[in-house]
Amino acid sequence: MSRLKASAFRIGIGWMLLALLAAACVPAATPTPGPSPTPVVVERVVTPTPTPPGPVTITFWHAYNPEETKVFNEQVLPAFHQKFPNIRVEAQQVPYDEFRRKLLTSIAGGTAPDVIRADIIWVPELAAMGALEALDVIMPDFNAYKEKVFPGPLSTNFWQGHYYGLPLDTNTRLLMWNKEMYAAAGIAEPPKTIDEFLKVCERIKALGKDKYCFADGGTYGWAVLPWIWSFGGDLTDPEMKTASGYVNGPDTVAAYEFLKGMLDKGYLHPGILGGGVDTAGGFARDEIANLLEGPWMPAIFAAQYPQKQIQWALMPAGKGGSISVVGGEDIVLFKQSRNKEAALEFIRFMLSPETQLMMARVGQVPVRTDVIQQAVQAQPYFALFFEQLKTARARLPHPNWPKIEDLLTSTGQAILRGEKGAKEALDELAPKIDALLKQQ
Amino acid sequence: MWTQGSLRTQRLRAAYLFMLPGMAFFLIFYLYPLVQALWISLHEWSIMPGQDSRFVGAANYLRALRDPIFWISMRNTVLYTAVTVPGQMILAMLVALALHAIPRGRVLFRTLYYLPVITSWVVAALLFKFLFHSQSGLINYLLVDVLHLADRYIPWLQNPETALLAIMTLGIWKGIGWSMVIFLAALQDIPLELYEAAALDGAGRWGRFRYVTLPMMRPTVIFVLVMLVIGGFNVFLPVYLMTGGAPMHRTETLLTYMYNEAFNFLDFGYGAALSYMLAALIFLLSLFQIKLLRRPMEL
Repeated sequence: MSRLKASAFRIGIGWMLLALLAAACVPAATPTPGPSPTPVVVERVVTPTPTPPGPVTITFWHAYNPEETKVFNEQVLPAFHQKFPNIRVEAQQVPYDEFRRKLLTSIAGGTAPDVIRADIIWVPELAAMGALEALDVIMPDFNAYKEKVFPGPLSTNFWQGHYYGLPLDTNTRLLMWNKEMYAAAGIAEPPKTIDEFLKVCERIKALGKDKYCFADGGTYGWAVLPWIWSFGGDLTDPEMKTASGYVNGPDTVAAYEFLKGMLDKGYLHPGILGGGVDTAGGFARDEIANLLEGPWMPAIFAAQYPQKQIQWALMPAGKGGSISVVGGEDIVLFKQSRNKEAALEFIRFMLSPETQLMMARVGQVPVRTDVIQQAVQAQPYFALFFEQLKTARARLPHPNWPKIEDLLTSTGQAILRGEKGAKEALDELAPKIDALLKQQ
Repeated sequence: MWTQGSLRTQRLRAAYLFMLPGMAFFLIFYLYPLVQALWISLHEWSIMPGQDSRFVGAANYLRALRDPIFWISMRNTVLYTAVTVPGQMILAMLVALALHAIPRGRVLFRTLYYLPVITSWVVAALLFKFLFHSQSGLINYLLVDVLHLADRYIPWLQNPETALLAIMTLGIWKGIGWSMVIFLAALQDIPLELYEAAALDGAGRWGRFRYVTLPMMRPTVIFVLVMLVIGGFNVFLPVYLMTGGAPMHRTETLLTYMYNEAFNFLDFGYGAALSYMLAALIFLLSLFQIKLLRRPMEL
């Protein structure tokens, strides 16, 4: 439930499939400061020393979900230890909700882990803080990896002229629809547009008072942005200079009014007001007909609800198209690390085709262009995720994003609870975000 | 030098020597953090070791005065104290009187009432979260499905007002035992002759409580009051564990807001300023309580 939403948060790409399909144009919508092919000036050359002779230990923090952790601990780690008997990786699973706080405390105390699997939305903040090593400086073979990964996920590591990490996995949210409930309501096909989605909801609600068309865990960015963007709205201008006229623009207002209407009509589960709605459980019990979910769900359902089938469809399209939100994780190295060579070996190993494919089996969408075909063959449902990623967008890659999202979440709550009209609440929000965009 | 000096200075030396470990502990673990926090509160503090922080003077304090969430947390903190302190004291007094009166089973019940005090906050908060859960909670089940007092489930923890109510219930439930034990000890110290004399003078049950028990327990009651008010203003765990300040920061209290600003948004300067404002408030309140309520021979 909230863990899933959590393990989900990430920013953006949008272009990935382009590389895959060798298509041409770049979707204009991506606010990610482009992974402009900036020639990286190497300021310091680290001679590649062979792996240290004596045994060294490095710490690695991640927020893999239980299924992912199982594969990581039982397959990935043993393979690494076999290949590098002198490097011991102490992996620690840290719950997503506590991850950032725990990490920041340990950085302040000078005891940061060596390497972490970081939510892509944390990297700008960590880089701006000066906590991360620039990999394009310290890693002699950085370019070899840079060329192998999708530019979108790679760009989430870029901050003021340097790359502070490498992408590890990517994802986005698709419409996960409940075939049994659709059948009971007499609907054959998933909705392609938001208008069709509303019609679906009307018929699902007719199934009973306790049947919900849609559910989500709250009003944070990961939840509301697909609706805002698909309605044609936005949070800021493409340069992240101003929110006024965007976050309170007519299309964003329309998106919030749509959600409020969904809630009032009983289409949207009231769990969005907080309190942790068990979205996956509700889906499995045929109480919830649609979710917006990520590629980790099949593995979770296989483990927890093996009798329930999952169907996928693209995010319903509105005036702005079918725009979902990009997520994923990067792997980053901390300046405080004492065993950087060993840590780099681990980073290389995590980006190897073998590891990427191992983790793909539990829903971690690979970032290497050269393993995509194999991954899609093994996990056919990945294909639709790649399709959605063509247009998916990033949450603001801004160091103040945590504060902006806090304001956004509260504003969404005020609107859905009917304390304020959407327009009024968003008009109040805009100047507050403007102020946060200015300070860096 | 050690051999010189009068007996008096030698004694003083010895005294200081004995005080040294305690003083060192106090200086390192209390005074230094206190001073450091004051210093941090005057800066836009950078958490990275070795990075410069900008001196901003009283800006963090002024910011709090203009911050609507600060005032919400202030209101909630005062409300929490105003409700849970009398709540705990009255219930604890009733329980203490009852336990004092029963001839047997006192130890058993005292232990039972004291159990919540030694129960972990995390366990207790999880339990209360379950009790007040909007869908599968026991309280909603009783209200709707058993007693039919309400026709739909109440989203206790999703509405700021009901969430605060749930948090306060937890605070009272968990605190009764502590005050009860102290009250019980004080009750047992009251000489029986006083009651006998009062009875001879024609005092009834209430009269004996009003004119014997309460006056004799006055110092204890004041002590408990001062301690509970300090504890009330320092409320953190029940709020942090049950709502985390949600929804919309409406259930935030001073300490949870301070924690959020410092550890979530890394605004250590602002967080330190908030904690200093809270400390000043508690200090003034305690001073006021002691001055107002103390009689010459007490405390």
